[in-house]
Amino acid sequence: MVHKIENQYKEILNQYMQRQSEQNLYVGQNFSRQLISENISPEEVISVHKAAMQEIYKDLPEVVWHSFDFLVEMMINYGLALQERQSLLQRQEEIRVEMDLAANVQETLLKTKLPTLDGLDIGLLSIPARKMNGDYIYFISDAEGHAGIAVADVIGKGLPAALCMSMVKFGMDSLNHSPANPSEVLGVINRVVEKSIDDSMFVSMFYGRYDAVSAQMTYGSAGHEPAILYRAKTNDFSELYAKGLLLGVSPAATYEEHTVQLEENDMVIMMTDGVTEGRTDQGFIEREVIFKMIEEKKDEPAQVIVQYVYDALERMQNAVLSDDFTLVIYKKV
Amino acid sequence: MSNQSSVEILTEWDIVAARQLGRNVAKELGFGTVDQARITTAISELARNIYLYAGQGRIEIQQLMENGIKGILIIAADQGPGIPDIRKVMEDGFSTSGGLGAGLPGVKRLMDEFKIETIPGEGTDIRATKWLR
Amino acid sequence: MNIQVELEETNNTLTGFIRGEIDAHTAPVLREKLEMHHHKEGLNAVLDLSDVDYMDSTGLGVFVAFYKSVNAKGGHVKLKGLSTRLKRLFDITGLGEIMDIESVGKGGN
Repeated sequence: MVHKIENQYKEILNQYMQRQSEQNLYVGQNFSRQLISENISPEEVISVHKAAMQEIYKDLPEVVWHSFDFLVEMMINYGLALQERQSLLQRQEEIRVEMDLAANVQETLLKTKLPTLDGLDIGLLSIPARKMNGDYIYFISDAEGHAGIAVADVIGKGLPAALCMSMVKFGMDSLNHSPANPSEVLGVINRVVEKSIDDSMFVSMFYGRYDAVSAQMTYGSAGHEPAILYRAKTNDFSELYAKGLLLGVSPAATYEEHTVQLEENDMVIMMTDGVTEGRTDQGFIEREVIFKMIEEKKDEPAQVIVQYVYDALERMQNAVLSDDFTLVIYKKV
Repeated sequence: MSNQSSVEILTEWDIVAARQLGRNVAKELGFGTVDQARITTAISELARNIYLYAGQGRIEIQQLMENGIKGILIIAADQGPGIPDIRKVMEDGFSTSGGLGAGLPGVKRLMDEFKIETIPGEGTDIRATKWLR
Repeated sequence: MNIQVELEETNNTLTGFIRGEIDAHTAPVLREKLEMHHHKEGLNAVLDLSDVDYMDSTGLGVFVAFYKSVNAKGGHVKLKGLSTRLKRLFDITGLGEIMDIESVGKGGN
């Protein structure tokens, strides 16, 4: 093996020494690729070079041969760096596979069932910036025509955020699928989160409970990006603000709740800051831009609207979303 | 066959002496230039670890002969503080990222066999072998 | 993606200027610097954010952690010079209610 490489190298070197053409160098470049794929270390390449030179030019002065020995010594650490890199690449691949598995587990764990209610059209899109999602949507519905929705966002992205999110899910599960008031729901989850997480971690959450019979939405917010109300009759957008501190900051936090009456074709638009904090080279994407997109598609089904907004924002940011993106639309039909 | 000699590591210059001893033995055993460079680099790393972390210790070089194959054994022994977390120092990227050089994973790669024993508070004993093929 | 953090502590008063962007990449730098001071008993910290162009929730997390540990030791944290955008972030999250913040009034971005 080594012998074969030595001969090939000598041949290629000899050709180059005689003609010094670009063609010879190109052959050399291809050969170096082969050396790398066969795990030949840099110090070995120099040793092969020295041996080839010794065969072709026997009569060079001693200093030349010494210089190659010196170069061999110099290259040992480069050879080690190369090997280390290969082993790190392998480890990176292992981590990637593990992350894929974790993402699957998360998907199964956080699965939620989209409620189906007469008179309510729901559009929903949640896209993680990395493999694991730090945004979370949880639906609670019952036979009496209630559709509760939690939209939560854990600070940060990736694995730590995803782990933290499981806690919110189990907190929601513990509410036993009852159509509780937003202020109660947020209070319970706040205590769950506050007990279990680190000081610099926190969660923002919007909770809305829609009653299909009265077409009323009651909502509260724990430091979350305000939901937006679109009024079809007047064709305008307004914020659904409700006072409330982020989850996990203080156990004493209390949460306001408010109620709005929805008319036909009105929409409640819920989102995470991955939607509103988008940036282009020109600066921030203002919320008015997003309102305009929604207005353009206001007569379409809710799912078409959320997809349209996502596609447009992704295009504006050159297909790079820096944060988890979650957008939900409740449309009264 | 076992033929040994050793160098006490007290100052940085002793690292050079340990290298020299290792190179002489490697050359005598018939190792080529590349392997000589690998063996001395390994000795350098081990001696430097003693000098930096234990303060003093010993590098011992032995010639080996097993089943007709010749080899070289490097023993690095010290009564220093020991290594509290071996797994960490044997991890790739741990020493290189701090600019500390090839580190113990490097020594392991340069040689054919590598064994480490360390007791916190009592010292460290590292044995690395390379066979002549 | 850069940040400058200047902190100076004299007589238990910490004065700081933070410039640039506070996001997932730069927040660890800020956290590390603030953590060198947060264990002091009764620390009075005033941090000027008027040259912070951008801050995301990771940055918010750093300030919340700092606020919590300083408060637990009987100290006080004041953030001043908040741009409209930053002020909104503190208001939405409810942190504006519990933390001592002061905005530049108008302007900013």
